[in-house]
Amino acid sequence: MKVIINFSKGFKNTGKTARMVFLFFLINLALSMVLAVPMYHSLKNSFGQSKVGERMSKGFDYLWWEEFRDEGKGLDKTFTPSIIGKGAILNNLEAFVQMRFFKAPPLVLIVGILYIVLHVFLAGGILSIFNMDTPKFTAKGFFKGAATYFSRFFILMLISWVFFIAAGIFLNEGLNSILDDVADNSLSEITPFYLGLLFSAIIFFLMLFIQMVFDYARIKIVLEDRRNVLKSALEAFGFVFKHPGSTLGLYYLILLIHVVVTIIYIFIKEFIPQSAFIGVLIAFLIQQLFIFALIWVRCWLYSSQMELYRYIK
Amino acid sequence: MKKISLKEARLLKKFLVLGFISSITFGIFLFSSVEPLCKQIANYTMDLKLDTDKNIISATELLSWTNDTQASTDELRFHLYWNAFQNNMSTFLTEGERRSGRRVYKSNKEDWGYCQVETIKIMKNQFFEDHDITPTIEFRQPDNGNLYDQTVLSVKLPQAVRPDQTILLEIKFQSKVPRPISRTGVYKDYYFIAQWFPKIGVFQDGKWNCHQYHASSEYFADYGTYDVKITLPSSFVIGATGEHREKNDNGDGTTTHRFYQHSVHDFAWAASPRLLEFKEAFNFAPGKKTEITLLLQPWHKKLKERYLNAVKAAIKYCSLFYGDYPYTTATCVDPAYNSRSGGMEYPTFFTGGAYFLTRKGIPRPEGVTIHEFGHGYFYGLVGNNEFENPWMDEGFTSFLDTEVYYAAYGDPVYSKYYFGIPFTFKDIYIPIESYGGISEHRTTSDMDEMQRFSWKFMEEDSYGANSYSKAELMLRTLKRFLGEELFGKMIKAYSTRWWFKHPGPKDFYDVVSEFSGQDMSWFLDQFVHGSGKLDYAVSKIANQRQIQPEGWFDGKYQKSLHEKQEKALYESEVLVRRLGEVKIPVDVLIIFEDGKEIRENWDGQYRWKKFTFKGSVKIKTAIVDPEFKLVLDVNRTNNSMMRKSNCLAPLKWTSNWLVWLQHALEFFTIFGG
Repeated sequence: MKVIINFSKGFKNTGKTARMVFLFFLINLALSMVLAVPMYHSLKNSFGQSKVGERMSKGFDYLWWEEFRDEGKGLDKTFTPSIIGKGAILNNLEAFVQMRFFKAPPLVLIVGILYIVLHVFLAGGILSIFNMDTPKFTAKGFFKGAATYFSRFFILMLISWVFFIAAGIFLNEGLNSILDDVADNSLSEITPFYLGLLFSAIIFFLMLFIQMVFDYARIKIVLEDRRNVLKSALEAFGFVFKHPGSTLGLYYLILLIHVVVTIIYIFIKEFIPQSAFIGVLIAFLIQQLFIFALIWVRCWLYSSQMELYRYIK
Repeated sequence: MKKISLKEARLLKKFLVLGFISSITFGIFLFSSVEPLCKQIANYTMDLKLDTDKNIISATELLSWTNDTQASTDELRFHLYWNAFQNNMSTFLTEGERRSGRRVYKSNKEDWGYCQVETIKIMKNQFFEDHDITPTIEFRQPDNGNLYDQTVLSVKLPQAVRPDQTILLEIKFQSKVPRPISRTGVYKDYYFIAQWFPKIGVFQDGKWNCHQYHASSEYFADYGTYDVKITLPSSFVIGATGEHREKNDNGDGTTTHRFYQHSVHDFAWAASPRLLEFKEAFNFAPGKKTEITLLLQPWHKKLKERYLNAVKAAIKYCSLFYGDYPYTTATCVDPAYNSRSGGMEYPTFFTGGAYFLTRKGIPRPEGVTIHEFGHGYFYGLVGNNEFENPWMDEGFTSFLDTEVYYAAYGDPVYSKYYFGIPFTFKDIYIPIESYGGISEHRTTSDMDEMQRFSWKFMEEDSYGANSYSKAELMLRTLKRFLGEELFGKMIKAYSTRWWFKHPGPKDFYDVVSEFSGQDMSWFLDQFVHGSGKLDYAVSKIANQRQIQPEGWFDGKYQKSLHEKQEKALYESEVLVRRLGEVKIPVDVLIIFEDGKEIRENWDGQYRWKKFTFKGSVKIKTAIVDPEFKLVLDVNRTNNSMMRKSNCLAPLKWTSNWLVWLQHALEFFTIFGG
């Protein structure tokens, strides 16, 4: 019940701060555009004047893509046929679980790290807004909160990286080495397949668990104006372990919303023909709506978690 | 397990020798229901027992070898391929490690394998007397002098084998089955046994063609009849080269299987108690029938139909394109995981390769199954020397498998595995021009020329790109250059004409030239003996207003006519360039804005060519090689140019890429702590 109450409260609060969600969306879009512009020019230079352009308008020219991949460098290497629809999501999910994000081309990595730091900065603003009795987005209130908590959140982020590295790199390597041993001694590929899936799920949920714990650490810092970041993190662990049902229940409920939104997007995306300008435009709008929805869900998570923390405390 | 007694051994030997001699006397093909397809030069009658506790094969091999050349020889050479796995200093393993980082799986004592000849004796016949030649055994290293390598054995004969003479040998040997390193071995209870017996080399032009076993090389042997008895535990399901003629329960927990096949140059077998066996008779053409056997891993049971259909498609289309499949059996083995025996070919017997999760449109297991069956035509029937001309086997077979796959299944879809689960992208098809490996050719093949001994390529990737991809793409380019019908006749003639004859590159050149009516070495040499790339491009389209006379002409001033003209006249130009080294005549198609098309032909010799036109209509598009005949062209994108740039496609694909990036950034926020 606790979960449902705070889940719906969180939804309402997010609804009241739609402008804030939109701001986050714009930041996401703007940062992405920094890389999208060179990608556009790269594609245009590659096939804009060729007959390949006509084929790429109607569908996908696999032969062209092989040329582009073989001759491309840096950012160009990230363009693959699997970026379409479900592929984009699965690529990122697998890169996340296998910690391959950090092997991305330098430009993507720089933008990614910049986005993380921006996110750390903005998180203070988000939580300040949700900390109001009646959450309402004001630029002044938002940026004041962001500035107030940035240094503490930044340290918190560095602490969290210890856990992320432990789980994402060291544990992953350990599990992979077990998997290799099992695979080397298997008569069929089925055992290593399922074991691989299990290990991936362990890493995935562990990483999300770390994220959730540090969400509560941030909430503690804001709600209780904590200065000791490390203590807040430790207490956040304690809080989660003390209330696993409600904290995890809420987290997974919102994760489920995230999954549903993603599935709906994949489904819709499959049916949009992009062979004419109007189709491209509609697809673009739906794609942006999808990203907006994901950011909404992220804000919903913060808001709900804050409400839950307050509720329990 | 019960050991064979001395008395039984003597009886067995007697039987083998009698059977062998009688088969020689009355014709080696006594047991064959079908006439042999060629001269049987190297005939093997073998009786072996597999000890599954020690992984030892103990065998007696009776070999009848006929000198089919005009020269005499007082030496015989044999391949002992499994000695490549007896220590880490063999040529196979040192090359493998150096070139591709391939390491010995594990160096436990029991993991190594070998083939040890215990005795080798000449048996009396009309040309020779009984003689034990075991003391003359020596190991040779003709390719690199690596004294640790014992993959080639030589014996001296007391007298030379003269042209057309036949020598009979009795060879006793023991082979230790290795843990799989490459292509063969035992993994748990799955045995894949190939290149396991002392196999005579090919005597050609007065010398032995018997190379050491190399990491990148495959095989070369003479044709003959194989009559092989295999004794192993009764619980084992077995498949092998040729017809499964007999199966006798020995009453001691073992069963002896007899396999027989004439007109082949190798014999391999696979056995495991877990294998599921499916048999099906297949009529692939009127009056033409073969029996398909599928040995399947139990966890791939649901792939049964896909495997069987692939074998049927391969038999049907190969028969159509390259000549009727001449054997009565075709056995496909689904290899065990970790057995490293997948994707290999042996006469009438081959391995596929599957993953328990697959989807429609993903060519797995079909692609590899068709490919390995297809080898039966080039490695098998034509009998190319895979050591020396790898492209003539791998390239022709890759070409064959692509043609058969596309004829039977259409374009495969692009797929990707996430967490081991296959996902297909239904709107993205892989065109035939790509399936052949243009990407590998583009990135690697200029390291070497195609015609190299298989172990002499700069690196493993270059061996692959040249032997598989470039050769396949060359054949597809040739097909489009000659036209489908002519090429079809030519390739079928090459295949059937050269069955059982070990052709070399020149023999192929001759057939191409004969069918095309001209000496085609100018075409083939550029690929076979060249490492240049093929790249034609449209570099420029220009539509300029025609220059009108203006100024003083013979004392008279003339004003420009431009202003007076209602309709502009243009001097249009298309610049076509040859960016690569390969020169082939090529068509250029020029399309004007009113839809009019002009087709020009360029000999492609010089580095560039300009085509100019005068008229009132501008050029809209120019395409060099509009029919995409030159499949080896490394850059197809630059083959066409449009006057106006297409902005929609870059926009569309940037927006698709953008959402991937935006979504990735959202994942990054998790690391925000």
